[in-house]
Amino acid sequence: MKRYARIAGLALVAALAVPAAAFGQYPPPSKPTPQKAPKGPFHTLQVCKDGCRYKTIQAAVNKARPGDTVKVRSGVYRETVSIAGASKRYIKLVGNPKDPSKVVIDGSRGKAVPRQNGVWVNGANQVTINGFTARHYNGNGFYVVNVTGYKLTHLKATLGGVYGIYAFNSIGGEMSDSEASYNNDGGFYIGQTPPQSTPKRSLVTRVKSFGNVIGFSGTNMRYVTITKSQWFNNGTGIVPNALDSEKYAPPEQNVIIDNDIFWNNFNYYVGAPFKVRKSGIGVPYPVGVGVLLFGGRHNDVVNNRIYGNYLVGVGALQQILLKQKDAADLIGNSVRNNQFGLNGTDLNGRDMVYDGSGSDNCFAGNAGVQAMLPTDGSAFAACPFTGANAYNAAAQAEAFGWAGDATHEKFWIRHPHAPKKGYTPLEHYKK
Amino acid sequence: MPFREPESGLPRRGFLAAGAGVFLCTIGGERVLLRNPGDAAKADAAARRVARPRAAAAGAPGAGPTEKLTFATPQPQPGGTAREYWIQATDALWDIVPTRPRRDEWHGRPVPGPTVYRAFVYQQMTEGFAEPLAPPRMPGPTLYAEVGDTLVVHFRNGLSDETGQALTMHPHGVKYNPEYDGVYLGDFTRAGGFVEPGAEFTYTWEATPDAVGVWPYHDHGPNHTLNTFRGLFGAVIVREKGAKVPDMEAVIFFHSLAPPVTGLERQFQCINGRAFAGNTPTLQAKVGQDVAIHVMGMDSNFHDFHIHGHRWKDPSGTFVDTPAVGPNETITARFIEDNPGRWLYHCHVFTHQDGGMAGWYLVMP
Repeated sequence: MKRYARIAGLALVAALAVPAAAFGQYPPPSKPTPQKAPKGPFHTLQVCKDGCRYKTIQAAVNKARPGDTVKVRSGVYRETVSIAGASKRYIKLVGNPKDPSKVVIDGSRGKAVPRQNGVWVNGANQVTINGFTARHYNGNGFYVVNVTGYKLTHLKATLGGVYGIYAFNSIGGEMSDSEASYNNDGGFYIGQTPPQSTPKRSLVTRVKSFGNVIGFSGTNMRYVTITKSQWFNNGTGIVPNALDSEKYAPPEQNVIIDNDIFWNNFNYYVGAPFKVRKSGIGVPYPVGVGVLLFGGRHNDVVNNRIYGNYLVGVGALQQILLKQKDAADLIGNSVRNNQFGLNGTDLNGRDMVYDGSGSDNCFAGNAGVQAMLPTDGSAFAACPFTGANAYNAAAQAEAFGWAGDATHEKFWIRHPHAPKKGYTPLEHYKK
Repeated sequence: MPFREPESGLPRRGFLAAGAGVFLCTIGGERVLLRNPGDAAKADAAARRVARPRAAAAGAPGAGPTEKLTFATPQPQPGGTAREYWIQATDALWDIVPTRPRRDEWHGRPVPGPTVYRAFVYQQMTEGFAEPLAPPRMPGPTLYAEVGDTLVVHFRNGLSDETGQALTMHPHGVKYNPEYDGVYLGDFTRAGGFVEPGAEFTYTWEATPDAVGVWPYHDHGPNHTLNTFRGLFGAVIVREKGAKVPDMEAVIFFHSLAPPVTGLERQFQCINGRAFAGNTPTLQAKVGQDVAIHVMGMDSNFHDFHIHGHRWKDPSGTFVDTPAVGPNETITARFIEDNPGRWLYHCHVFTHQDGGMAGWYLVMP
């Protein structure tokens, strides 16, 4: 049993541990640095297919000075846009904030090398991208790296090879009023946040994420507040996780508050509008999970509505295979005041699962909890709690064992969903 | 810096009012005289020029052995809890006389405008700074603890780009180590003493037995005097464990809003950011209630707290009805209510009383 759990645990980690850098020719991370706010005067550069000075977004970006606005009119632009370096700081890339579907950047029809990213910001601070749809990119829809401050708003990222809306190795930013769907990894992703003594928080608010392998992935992310958003019909909803593949493990000081996290039972292995990636040893992510804290410190899951996830509503597990042993344990995390199971009408397979690892972790004020692992609730210390938690090896082995199931559904506990107007549960994708 | 003559074109009335609120600020390496409306912009510009200090522990110029010390984050005592607050400093348009038409209810007379300025306030937020818990208010949220608890205050500087400058939260009364002092100290500044716009810092303060009482907190960053005057202040209440909470408890700050701070022509004598009865807080109680009114001074003046129709014991046991309260000092009027009716409370420094530092206290049988 123990051996099985180990192998299954390894599988889960390997599956989650797909490093972003494997997908494309990305620059090595550099330290985000302060850049002076530009003084202007500022100009607006117009982009459209016909009658504008600039026919491509990149041509306008190339001419833009710090703080300028690049206004892109409706149309489909088949290009990849790079906004790189301090000379492009504070640039505003504006499409149609009221209807982002009218201004599309499209990665398909790439020739020898498929287009990697829709818009890629590297080392240019305080860039705003507002009002675009990115689709069919081999890598990411909207990708920000090595910056201090960004605003990604009124965006749609769909059918991407890796992440939809993505910020890496960056300090402080905003993802808002956006939608990510059918991406072959995280719909939204904030990863490798540098630790800071006076941290700048990142805000993810009023977004929708569905049909992705993971709704929100957060490898080694810090100081992120995720709120007022919907995470549904993904394989897994929200996963703050600790991995060796990126710097600065584990995830810390994130707050997941006031979200709807439901129906994350999308078994993309049975069918998906994207080609399911094979990880190194061909082993799966867990499917059917609302929130999974996979290692991490001082992360809070508060005031969310969590229902209809067939495997687990909220799980918290030790990152048993992290090489950086001092970052493997769950410390000081809390799960408080969440509503599980939509008043009994749309139950989770198991509401809360915790292996009792680590210390100072606590659970309080959660309503509608009907099923837990360990089933006797012994691991779920009430808040506030200090000291070692009640580690439960059997519960840990059982939870890690779920990832080893080749059907990805064997350990589901299905319950009927309550109807939700405008939403259809997605388990098996059909064209 | 030489004492400048008032700007030409300033109305005489404005000049006279401004003269009452003059103060000199040292901001980083610069000295800025705040004398006239508009001078605050110079102080803000100076504050924005203050560079983020190198971490003191890393060996700042002239750093001594005290800078090499490191400090653990305090934990609650057995039986105590960590009381968490999420507090954001933000700028907000603030009306000193919000009644319309603007009115002083005490004298039944109109108050001339304008009365709106850009205040800085501490605003309580939900966890993770996801959203405000209440509108911007002056004073900021009252923090509560019992002996044995810690106050864990997640502070975020939410100033906009235009007003952006480093801020802090510095408490009185509670116990803290230098890491959580929340004070700008030039080269000796620790992380919590310089929180830049968009940044946050978590302070941990201890409610020790000698912290029982009511205390102010306020900004103590590089531009602390101006920013405190603008509205960055609030109160901490520490009680004995299990102590009875008064039936009616009010926190009252006596302070002035002067032309160099507000950019307005007139000087306002304020209670909690408002001036003149009907605008200032209207306190309400019932006969028989255990009433506690905590009064703090938050400007450069001394004040006298007077309630009509009431008297109470000061800490020495003497009955008083007009005790003095100085800058960042606290006095508490605590009594069992026994006198129904409409009462006035006010500062008994006459110029303050007449400049708006007065309010209603309504007692029902």
